[in-house]
Amino acid sequence: MTRREILVAALALGALPQQKRPSRANSSSADPIFRDIASEVGLNFHHFNGATGKYFMPEIMGSGVALFDYDNDGDLDVYLVQGTTLDHRGKLLFPSPPGWKPGNRLFRNDLAETGKLHFTDVTDQAGVGHVGYGMGVAVGDYDNDGFQDLYVTNFGHNVLYHNNGDGTFTDVTEQAGVDDPRWSTCAAWLDYDGDGLLDLFVGNYVDFTVLGNKQCFTPTGEIDYCTPKAYQPVPSRLFKNLGNGKFQDVTESSGIGSSYGPALGVVCADFNGDGQPDIYVANDTAANRLWLNQGNGTFKESALEAGVAFSADGLPKAGMGVSAEDMENDDNEDILVTNLMGEGATLFRNNGKAEFDDVTTQYGLSGPTFGFTGFGTQFFDYDNDGWLDLFIANGAVTKVEAERGNPYPFAQKKQLFHNEGPAKRFRETSSSGGPAFQIAEVTRGAAFGDIDNDGAIDIVVTNNNGPARLLRNQVGAQQHWLQIKLAGDKTNRFGVGARVAVLRASQPPLWRWAHSDSSYLSASDIRVHFGLGKDPQLEGVVVHWPGGLREKWSNIRPDRIITLKQGSGKSE
Amino acid sequence: MRKRNTRLLRIALALLSFPLAAPSAELPPLPILNMSDFQPAIRNQVQQFDAAARSRPNSAEAAGRLGMVLDAYQQYESAALCYERAHRLDARAFQWDYYLGSVQVHQGKYDQAVATLREAIRLGPDYLPARLKLAESLLAAGDLDGSEEVYKQILENASKAMDSRLRGNDNEGAITTSAEALYGLGRIQSARGDIGAAAGRYRKACEIFPAYGAAQYALALAYQKMGKPDDAEPHFRAYQANMTVTPPLDDPLMGTVQALNLGVDQHLRRSIELEKQGDLRGAIKEQELALEVDPQNVQANINLISLYARAGDPDAAEKHYRDSVRLNPNRADAYYNHGVFLFMEGNSQEAEENYRQALKINPYYTEAHNNLGVLLEKQGKTEEALAEYGAALKSQPNYRPAHYHVATILARQGKYAESAGHLLKTLQPEDESTPGYLYALAIDYARQGDDRSALIYARKARDRAAAWRQSQLLSRIDHDFPDAASERPPQ
Repeated sequence: MTRREILVAALALGALPQQKRPSRANSSSADPIFRDIASEVGLNFHHFNGATGKYFMPEIMGSGVALFDYDNDGDLDVYLVQGTTLDHRGKLLFPSPPGWKPGNRLFRNDLAETGKLHFTDVTDQAGVGHVGYGMGVAVGDYDNDGFQDLYVTNFGHNVLYHNNGDGTFTDVTEQAGVDDPRWSTCAAWLDYDGDGLLDLFVGNYVDFTVLGNKQCFTPTGEIDYCTPKAYQPVPSRLFKNLGNGKFQDVTESSGIGSSYGPALGVVCADFNGDGQPDIYVANDTAANRLWLNQGNGTFKESALEAGVAFSADGLPKAGMGVSAEDMENDDNEDILVTNLMGEGATLFRNNGKAEFDDVTTQYGLSGPTFGFTGFGTQFFDYDNDGWLDLFIANGAVTKVEAERGNPYPFAQKKQLFHNEGPAKRFRETSSSGGPAFQIAEVTRGAAFGDIDNDGAIDIVVTNNNGPARLLRNQVGAQQHWLQIKLAGDKTNRFGVGARVAVLRASQPPLWRWAHSDSSYLSASDIRVHFGLGKDPQLEGVVVHWPGGLREKWSNIRPDRIITLKQGSGKSE
Repeated sequence: MRKRNTRLLRIALALLSFPLAAPSAELPPLPILNMSDFQPAIRNQVQQFDAAARSRPNSAEAAGRLGMVLDAYQQYESAALCYERAHRLDARAFQWDYYLGSVQVHQGKYDQAVATLREAIRLGPDYLPARLKLAESLLAAGDLDGSEEVYKQILENASKAMDSRLRGNDNEGAITTSAEALYGLGRIQSARGDIGAAAGRYRKACEIFPAYGAAQYALALAYQKMGKPDDAEPHFRAYQANMTVTPPLDDPLMGTVQALNLGVDQHLRRSIELEKQGDLRGAIKEQELALEVDPQNVQANINLISLYARAGDPDAAEKHYRDSVRLNPNRADAYYNHGVFLFMEGNSQEAEENYRQALKINPYYTEAHNNLGVLLEKQGKTEEALAEYGAALKSQPNYRPAHYHVATILARQGKYAESAGHLLKTLQPEDESTPGYLYALAIDYARQGDDRSALIYARKARDRAAAWRQSQLLSRIDHDFPDAASERPPQ
């Protein structure tokens, strides 16, 4: 088989026709960057927090969302995590809207079948409508059967849903041995031991119990939600995938249990360039943790020495959401952590050896993020210019002065920042973001992915005690792009942890990586997206698979979604 | 003639300044305050200031005072409106600009803060905290050159103060301020990518004020980046011992604002500080003051159970336990504190009941599991005790007392290697308990027949016990490990 034939085979494997570039007849430069189309396309979901005025802490924290193709039909489906009530005797402050159904919801995207973006609630037939106090969701194909599975975290017992591949899921939590009855928040799939099987990290928060609920107050003495400092943090967990449908709790033996805080955000990436996935955890009001993979089944906590435990002033902040991507296009994963109002987000620049600098101020993010409590976040290239921009979902956890008198006084606006590339700054573009950026809400989860396969990254956000929104990207498709789905053979099936580079003539390669973790309690599209600007000059694609195998594909053309099967490229 | 000219000049200046001082058409309105849910004592206080400001609409002082009380309770948006109004009513008053600038810093409005603080400094050039805030705001706004200029001015003034100090004048505040300026200059160098120069500044800041947590942290990171991890290590340790400590700054204006805060939190915070300093009576007083502000405050009652128990006042401890349970019967820490108190009183049975009640409310309560384990162990219920210690360690895997107790049980059972495994987990972080844990580890190794390791840990225990001035432990170590005091290498 010639290289060309291999390439054709690889492209064919994607089985996706080149997507027709969407018509932009009505778009102009004045058009907003995003438009909320959730209700237009049937993505009707309203988060219910069950608040009765007792200020139970979980009420203000959830919840997450996942973008994943559960039926492998080539489009992104949406899984939304739901709350419930913790006070069965109290009177609901915010009753659920008419037609509301309890439990998590799975919405199937009908785009591939009908050519039209529309969602159908398939929760009941899929069997994924767990009713609990839902927090987050992680997506990963733990049994390498080619269908992505779901891990749902709760305040209470967690759930592992195995994707049966026929549109249904089975709750396999007990036999898999991955439950945790405590308050779990973030979760992430990673192959930490390089055996080709995805292992599971589960972040836990604090030892809050409903019965032991504490009363906390604003500085003016009004009752309010507590900060995590009112409780004790509980340790996170690491589960090793044994490959037989069972997992082993390796929290202690891996070292992950040796130090912990109230975990809210997690992202797994290779921060020191040794080819092993590391784990970064954003902790709320405590030092963040950077677990550097030692390559022998253990991790070494290195956040302090690496400069990512705290912001530059050495003070712990209220870490919520986290994103790790190469914001400078220099082949290193940088980190953004969203924090509390009055702290601002923290941007850490990586020098490639897991040595970081807090460059929040230099990048112009100190002032603009200071007044907001940030949650879901991601570096992503909304305008496909080849530089990763930034989205931050905001919403307070304690009463906002300006919102006093409102029934739910925690609302804040979302933020969008444009990466100015060589200028090494982010410029706030929220005012051009569209109406969704002008309304204040209590936004929490945010998942990113090309939901209409037009080459532009869209965003699904969840609002605590409010509707989910689908922010359709209106501008990205105006420039060139490429999306790559990886098909692992020797490694995990979806290539989680693989690093992918687009080679460009006269320009340095663009490095991205395959993952669905990061943000806040959410899971994003596993496909690797590249914005290629106006003149892409593509020379090929390189994939560094987990475990070290390196392959190159040439003759790649932009503006399409391709699948690269492990072993079908030219070994490097 | 010269005197007359001066007087004329003053009149001219006064006339010139009059339009600035007069209320303008754009006078910001006083904020509309929704105080319905404020704590009553705070509401009464704010209402008084609000009424005063509304009854004297042209009074800068009244508007400013309302701003101050709102500022004290972190109501920054409303406070900013009041300060802005006060400034418009009296543009010559330094304090309103300073307060407004400070509030703008709290809001992250650094560009506005820079303009406001510059105006404040024009009116009150000698007020050091204003200069520091200006330099910080410039840095946060990304104006490295501007920030550098201000920090250098501060440093220059501090240097003069140091000279003055050498001549016998007391200028402690100005000197410690130079540490802040040096730290700020280090951050600027770091932002410019000159780590070596940054490290130099941080090092000087740490020399001037060794407990400066942020500077120690920055210096440690700088050394780390310079490839000098050994140099970084002591600074990481100094940082961890002083994480939130900053050089003391004499800021009477901000002190006046803080003094207006009648909130419970202020008292609780002060109580914690006093307790840390060993001032139990002072700590109790602050908790009682918190209850004067809010008699329904459960946390103050719970804290007082422990404080009074330790102060040797069991009746008061019991009273606050009853009050806390009456106010909220589901606070696990009330039962836990009461359990500790009862244990101190020798009432193990009721102590156990209290720990069990705490665990009913919060099954993850590490300390309650541990203390219950201790009681069960005393009753000879070793397996049950081990289960409680295990539960404690599941909640907090690095909870040292539980590791220690498990280790002692395992040692009694002759399982020395397992025991040592637990004791090794008690060694970090290092504090006054560490010498005891090291000594227990030495004993463990000795019982295993590993004399070399035993001597190594006995020596470490001896060193640490000496450092912490634990004379009794020191005697025991010397008695059990006579070689520990010698320099002879372990065999």
